[in-house]
Amino acid sequence: MLACRQAQEVQHGGRDTKSPHGEPPESAAGVWGATPHIKGEMAQTVTPQHQPVRVDRTFWLVTLGLTIINVILTVVIIALPMDYLLPGASLHVADRGDDIDFLYKFMSVFGNAIFVYVVGYIIYFAIAFRRRPDEPLTTIGVQIHDQPKLELWWTIVPSILIIILGAMSVRVWYSVQFGTGAPALTVEVIGHQFNYEFRYPGLSDSYFSTTAPMHLPVGRSVRVLVTSADVIHSFWVPEIRLKADAVPGLVQNLNFTPQHAGTFDIVCTEFCGVNHSRMQAKLIIQSADDFTDWLDGMKKQQASSGGGGVVALAAGDPNAGKALFAQKCSVCHQIAPFDQKLVGPGLLHLTDDPQHPTLVTGQSPTPDHIAAILHNGFTGPIGTMPNQAANGLSAGDIANLVAYLVSLK
Amino acid sequence: MSTTAIGDHEHEEHGAHDHIHPAPEGFIRKYVFSIDHKVIAVQYFAVGFLFFAIAGLLAELVRIQLLVPTGAIMDNNTYNGVYTLHGSAMVWMVIIPLVTGAFGNLVMPLQIGARDVAFPWLNMISFWIFPVAGAVLFCSFLAGAPDAGWTEYPPISVQGPPGTSLWCIAIFLIGISSTMTGLNFMVTIVKMRCPGMTWTRMPLFTWATFATALMNMVATVALSGALLALFLERQFNVPFYDPARGGSPVLWQHMFWFYSHPAVYIMILPAFGIISEVLPVFSRKPIFGYKMIAFSSMAIALLGFTVWAHHMFTSGMAPWLQLPFMLITMVIAVPTGIKIFSWVATLWGGRIHFSTAMLFATAFLITFTFGGITGIFLASVPADLQAHGTYFVVAHFHYVLFGGSVMGIFAGLYYWYPKVTGRLMSEKLGKLHFWMTFIGFNGTFLPMHWLGLEGMPRRYATYVAFAQSYPMAQFWNDFATCSSFIMALALPVVLFNMFWSLRHGVRAGNNPWGARTLEWMISSPPPYYNFKNIPIVLGLPYDFGEPLPYRNLDHETDPYPTPLPASIHTPPAVPAGAGV
Amino acid sequence: MAVANLAGHDAVVARYKDVDPVYGETRDIRLLGFVFFLMSDVVLFSIFIFAYLYLRNSVPDWPPITQGGHQLPRFDVALATVNSVVLFGSGVTMHFALENWKHLNRDKFNMWLGLTILLGACFLGGQAYEYHSVAVSWAGSTMGATFFTLTGMHGFHVFIGLVYLSVLAIQANRGVYTGSKYFGLTAGTLYWHFVDVIWVALFYLFYLM
Repeated sequence: MLACRQAQEVQHGGRDTKSPHGEPPESAAGVWGATPHIKGEMAQTVTPQHQPVRVDRTFWLVTLGLTIINVILTVVIIALPMDYLLPGASLHVADRGDDIDFLYKFMSVFGNAIFVYVVGYIIYFAIAFRRRPDEPLTTIGVQIHDQPKLELWWTIVPSILIIILGAMSVRVWYSVQFGTGAPALTVEVIGHQFNYEFRYPGLSDSYFSTTAPMHLPVGRSVRVLVTSADVIHSFWVPEIRLKADAVPGLVQNLNFTPQHAGTFDIVCTEFCGVNHSRMQAKLIIQSADDFTDWLDGMKKQQASSGGGGVVALAAGDPNAGKALFAQKCSVCHQIAPFDQKLVGPGLLHLTDDPQHPTLVTGQSPTPDHIAAILHNGFTGPIGTMPNQAANGLSAGDIANLVAYLVSLK
Repeated sequence: MSTTAIGDHEHEEHGAHDHIHPAPEGFIRKYVFSIDHKVIAVQYFAVGFLFFAIAGLLAELVRIQLLVPTGAIMDNNTYNGVYTLHGSAMVWMVIIPLVTGAFGNLVMPLQIGARDVAFPWLNMISFWIFPVAGAVLFCSFLAGAPDAGWTEYPPISVQGPPGTSLWCIAIFLIGISSTMTGLNFMVTIVKMRCPGMTWTRMPLFTWATFATALMNMVATVALSGALLALFLERQFNVPFYDPARGGSPVLWQHMFWFYSHPAVYIMILPAFGIISEVLPVFSRKPIFGYKMIAFSSMAIALLGFTVWAHHMFTSGMAPWLQLPFMLITMVIAVPTGIKIFSWVATLWGGRIHFSTAMLFATAFLITFTFGGITGIFLASVPADLQAHGTYFVVAHFHYVLFGGSVMGIFAGLYYWYPKVTGRLMSEKLGKLHFWMTFIGFNGTFLPMHWLGLEGMPRRYATYVAFAQSYPMAQFWNDFATCSSFIMALALPVVLFNMFWSLRHGVRAGNNPWGARTLEWMISSPPPYYNFKNIPIVLGLPYDFGEPLPYRNLDHETDPYPTPLPASIHTPPAVPAGAGV
Repeated sequence: MAVANLAGHDAVVARYKDVDPVYGETRDIRLLGFVFFLMSDVVLFSIFIFAYLYLRNSVPDWPPITQGGHQLPRFDVALATVNSVVLFGSGVTMHFALENWKHLNRDKFNMWLGLTILLGACFLGGQAYEYHSVAVSWAGSTMGATFFTLTGMHGFHVFIGLVYLSVLAIQANRGVYTGSKYFGLTAGTLYWHFVDVIWVALFYLFYLM
């Protein structure tokens, strides 16, 4: 077992250290065979390797103190809800979130323990083993190289902790990735620059987060399918603890069951362009009945708005559109043939250009599709057109602009 | 013994290692286009430190921007360019060149008893690429700065401003420099160790440099490939990453992180090596667990190639792939932990002298451990789902990169400055630098842990929504910013110290710290040929109670080297190792 | 004082002891450096091969089906086989060139080296013909992207190799290398074999797989 006396003073008594000699002794053992002035236990001649060292009482007192600190911290971490670190921890917003919060607690407990011991010992050693001002410069410390038994323990114990943590993580990982059964509700989330598009079963069309929040029902298992229409985004609700990047070309899924009603933020955490920091949305978790009511209301609204439109295109006013164009669009677009670009192409022949029969999105230049570009923006080889939010356009503005552009011949 | 040029095929009974080439003459050959590894090291340090100041200024701009949730001083586009260049410059133009090009070049050949590296001309070319690459990188501001972070994920990076292409070129160039340096160091360590220096007698900084050079040589080329593909896609529309034509954005992430994860070990391992040198010298006892530390360094280097996708847990790669990456990442914690415990055990039973180098080394142990622990949080996939892309990650990597690598760099600076200049740096200014850095650093990055988990994403120019949901958002950001000012103001202190000490520092002599590795057996500064006689090594350089394990040293040397008095304001009467 | 007793070193030094001990040691160092350089070049090709395999695996059909709806054609194996034989042949001729040098047959060396360069140039010509006639474009699909980038990188390496071999031929004929000191030729031969090995991989990946 480990124990040691501190304040060993090893002086090279009898050896004149001020005048360097010629030949050093042939073997390393020669030094230890000589008679250094060593006090106490260390005076025995031992080889440098595997020398049993003993720690002293103060060391054990310090260890006890650090252990007490750790016990207190452990109790505090386990007992307190983790709201100081993780939002909505005491609300238990989603079931997976609880699993993840437990992981955080476990890691905090043993992470803190390691840190407290390491820092505690560093401070203790720094004080206890510092060279006192009156000690000669030739003073050296205890010449040990290793302690195999100690090293074995400090390899085994962390390894066991890692194995436990790994096992716990695998369990939670599996349920997040694959769920615990077929979900009751599957919602698609599509990331755009710089908002989210939501698609629900039963709704003929998707809708954007700029018009309405995402809704989820309490108590029903949910699968969220996440993808992107342009660049990489991310779908993250901090209180739910789950995150999936929205990657164009593939679909990810997140499986959880909401447990607590409330309004939460959906946040984008993968850089996606100039307005990345303004890409958020709201998520409303509500009782199953309220959710059904809301979904029914959305269905009715979409049916009455004539369907097929992201934006309800009531008859827009071309004159208002013209004024708005001059104010907002003329920075980048001219009313001129396509090739006369400022930043974006000329829009004179937007609807009837034989050389550019489709819009940049590849769609035919109908009012709905033009409105979609105004709403969502567009990014591609031709450049980036900011979306509705970035341009500060209301639905009425879009209708007016579309009416104006369509009227151009 | 005659002096002949290396490469002269004159018959010479001593062999290439004993050749001393003629001294370089003229200012240009001595200080500008020098092939002397020591001069090259100082050049790397000067340019690296300049880029450190620039990238640090960019960081301050980031912090000032975040003083208010609506963004204090910059529009989003400018901000995005600022943080992208901060990260890119710090990784590729500051830390990697400093730890490999500066410290590796300076110390490793001396520690193995060589006269230079294996390919000195290649070494010089490697250096001169560095300021060019840095200039190209910073010039990208003028062309529309790259804005998607130092990771530049497509598709956004394919569409990014023209500066992104310059960014590709700059990083490609520095990658060539890194690869050549890695190759150079590998060959040097394998082939040019002096007689008697077996692998198990090599100092730990050399072990660290070896592991780093291995990674440098193998991994950097993967990044070059990724950059080439991105450049081709940007300039010539060649589809690697475009999903519309069969490409995959996740492919970039695999290619990028296959390099960039070993890159973080490239950044930290030499700092580990510096700590392993500084701790025993100032504790006056052997490094604890030499073999385990050496072995762990190699294990970390090799395992480091197998964990890259832990940066991609949320990215959409096949779910089953997350498992092995999670588990191996956790496994890496074990050798790292062993090293930390060994370093702490090195302190036990010592007679510790807290010079500035030792202060930084000790602080390293604290801050790096903290960063390592938050790394374990991130290694667990479910926990990472909360933390990825938030300020928690920013906090983690600053703790290991600044609290690790940069602390190690500062420790190495104070430790080896006397070897380069022959004078000690001012201890008073050094301690001021240390405390400002330590306090400022912790104040800046500690709050970022909870800011991130509570919902603040990284790369955000503004945080209005977060400030609404987390009332203390602005307070902690402001706390971090004010602390960062303390940390930033420490930089002029150390700069002043470096220049002031050139003239007014206490003269150091060969071995002011009483250390035992070979670089301390020659004069400060060393002659251009390092060793007149190649030394013979008999044992490890960490046994302070024993006579020096060397034969054939150039100078009469105290067999039991002793440090200079701790706080001295007048030169000692008899400098250690007199008779230079 | 005995020269450094590092691993493997003594054998090399002993071989050159009577001729030039300095050369013995630096040759060892330069050879290791060159081998490491080739290793890092292998990583460059490997990362692109990884990209190719990744992209190929991420679509259901290969050759991929374009947006227009038709499937791209496979590459011409016959032409590539002929070209491969040419390139591998140049590897054989290079081997003979080096052997002849070692046995001090200057003229035979020149012939074999010239043949190597010629065959290498023919390979590049074959590649140029293939690039011209293939129905896949560089920017049109990931098939073209990976094919042209990888074979283009390889062709670039072949081109640099031809330049290098030409320089070696000039150097050899100017007497820079002697019967026992010819590291440049060894390095050139290694590089040329490396180019061959990479082509084996590319040939399999693009034409046979």
